Amino acid sequence: MDRKIKVVIAKLGLDIHWRGAVAVSRLLRDEGMEVVYLGNQFPEAIVNAAVQEGADVVGLSTLGGNHLTVGPKVVRLLKEKGLEQILVVMGGVIPPDDIPLLKKAGIAEVFGPETPIKDIADFIRKQVGSRIAS
Amino acid sequence: MSRIKLFNEKALELIKKEMVRWENEILKDKGGDEDYFTESGIPIKLLYTPVDISELDYLQDIGFSGDEPYVRGVYPNMYRGRLFTVRQLAGFGGPEDCNKRIKFLLDHGATGVNIVFDLPTIRGYNSSDPEAEGNVGQCGVAIDSLEDMEALFDGVPVDEISVSLVTHLPSVSVALLAMYVVMAEKRGIPLEKLAGTTQNDFLMETTIGSAPEILPPRHSFRFQCDVVEYAARNLPRWNSISYNGYNLREAGTNAVQEVAIAIANAIATAEELVRRGLPVDSFARRMSFFWDLCNDFFEEIAKCRASRRVFYKVMKERFKAQNPRSLLMRFHVQTAGITLTKVEPLNNIARSAIQALAAILGGAQSLHVDSFDEAYSAPTEEAALVSLRTQQILQTETNIVNTVDPLAGSYYVEYLTNEMEKRIFEYIEEIERRGGIVAVTESGWLHREISNYAYEQQKAIETGKKKIVGVNYMRSEQQEPEIEVFRYPETEQKQKAKLEALMKKRDNAKVKECLEVVREKLKTQENIMPYVIEAVKVNATLGEIEEVFRQEFGLWQFPLT
Repeated sequence: MDRKIKVVIAKLGLDIHWRGAVAVSRLLRDEGMEVVYLGNQFPEAIVNAAVQEGADVVGLSTLGGNHLTVGPKVVRLLKEKGLEQILVVMGGVIPPDDIPLLKKAGIAEVFGPETPIKDIADFIRKQVGSRIAS
Repeated sequence: MSRIKLFNEKALELIKKEMVRWENEILKDKGGDEDYFTESGIPIKLLYTPVDISELDYLQDIGFSGDEPYVRGVYPNMYRGRLFTVRQLAGFGGPEDCNKRIKFLLDHGATGVNIVFDLPTIRGYNSSDPEAEGNVGQCGVAIDSLEDMEALFDGVPVDEISVSLVTHLPSVSVALLAMYVVMAEKRGIPLEKLAGTTQNDFLMETTIGSAPEILPPRHSFRFQCDVVEYAARNLPRWNSISYNGYNLREAGTNAVQEVAIAIANAIATAEELVRRGLPVDSFARRMSFFWDLCNDFFEEIAKCRASRRVFYKVMKERFKAQNPRSLLMRFHVQTAGITLTKVEPLNNIARSAIQALAAILGGAQSLHVDSFDEAYSAPTEEAALVSLRTQQILQTETNIVNTVDPLAGSYYVEYLTNEMEKRIFEYIEEIERRGGIVAVTESGWLHREISNYAYEQQKAIETGKKKIVGVNYMRSEQQEPEIEVFRYPETEQKQKAKLEALMKKRDNAKVKECLEVVREKLKTQENIMPYVIEAVKVNATLGEIEEVFRQEFGLWQFPLT
């Protein structure tokens, strides 16, 4: 039997805008995923939580401008632990020019404001769904 | 007092009778009332008549501007006497960068500034703290020390303009207000001349802000009251608190909750200060409020009018305030960032202008108009100028500022005003039944209320029940527009270098001594402000002062899952 996709969602660093992250957490649950919302955390703690929870996906939310410095750090730390299979996605207010830089750094996708939850859920299912079913 | 109703019984009977005829013969089945609600869930009828406000007593319920119950506005001649303050946010980079933006806005006719701080400053960390990485000078200005505060306001006439320090947390309000006061003293400006606002709302620390590092609600609330008390004794023109409905709304509340939560906090503050021995008239006149005006045009106007009547009743009936100025609710408005879209960003100019119009019709004392590029970055200079110009167009070209409260007497607006007032009081009562604003924060009840609203709203957008132009309605086919994005100047290294130099040249023994005094005083009931001011004078940094708070009071887990 298929297990649920497990997503860990965190506000990245000091950013205080939690509305989007909480709404997305609850909506992904409605989409049938298991979601752990960490609140605000720094990269080390996010990665530790991802390990502990056995996460398939790490979702990072930031509207605070720290995406370029702190976001890639999460990817790097996962890699150091040999966990590059964990999908890292990001949401928030991200200037368009920064998106290619984030992708280059290993963030699989960046979801801006107004992204329908279906798009986020479909993307996640497509990326990790087959792995879970197998 | 007996009530003298605005409409006589005979007229009302006739209207009711005629309305039945109208419904049956003319309207027939074209009404469809069941599907229409305001944003906060008040049913909207097709048509309002005197019957909907049949209980209204003009003099008791509405009255005149600058007179009880202040529904029509807080000043007798309103905008003819003083236009609302054109107050645009400024804050990015280091203090030297931000100083230039302040001067740019003042040179283009702004009459006050709102200083926003970067996240490390907002959360009480120095720019050199590891936790600050990536956030220094982003989304706000970095302030680490008195020297930074001096650089921020270098050449800015702080004795002439009003300055709002958007300090969010009370603990940070304590430190930054201390720096502001010392900066002014060093320039020889008497404290009586300082006009402005500190945000200083403990809900920003405990409800709207979040983990990992926040002070427990009780201690945060104490600092909030310390600032109010200090200002009541020393800064006669300083609004010591701006009860922040805005961020509650942005995080996830409706208009009724926004006002009710803010006033519940005002009630708790007033009770605490009275307990500390201050007469209500010594501080109530310096409490101010901060509203978020979203897209439901009439509900927002009604909210502004109703909130003034609620505050008036609370201060008059509950706290027995005598001074008329204690009874006035003055408020700042910012247009709603949450309503702005990333698609077709120029549409946001229309949204913001409509919200700004509602603010003026609602009688706001000051206004910030959001910039159209908000979903991309902090505003570019061009976008900031469009916002400023929007305000100036409303002030000078539309004639709407020349008469007071022009929507008074509208059956719909008066009905909505009554309904909002009723619902605001009910929600305040619910908070008090649960132990008051500090208790509902500690229990996480408030967080759940906010989270539930945000979730329901998002679901309504996902299902198309709530329509947003260009997003889920008339969906934009436009490619991602070319939009110039604001880039923050490099700040982290500069701030770190300044901090290092400061640590070398200051008297570190004195700093330590002052911080120890702060630590000792935290264990007492004494107001902390004077001791923090002494620490600031010897160049204790923001992060050092906050660290003492954190060590003494510990951190609080944000009850949100």
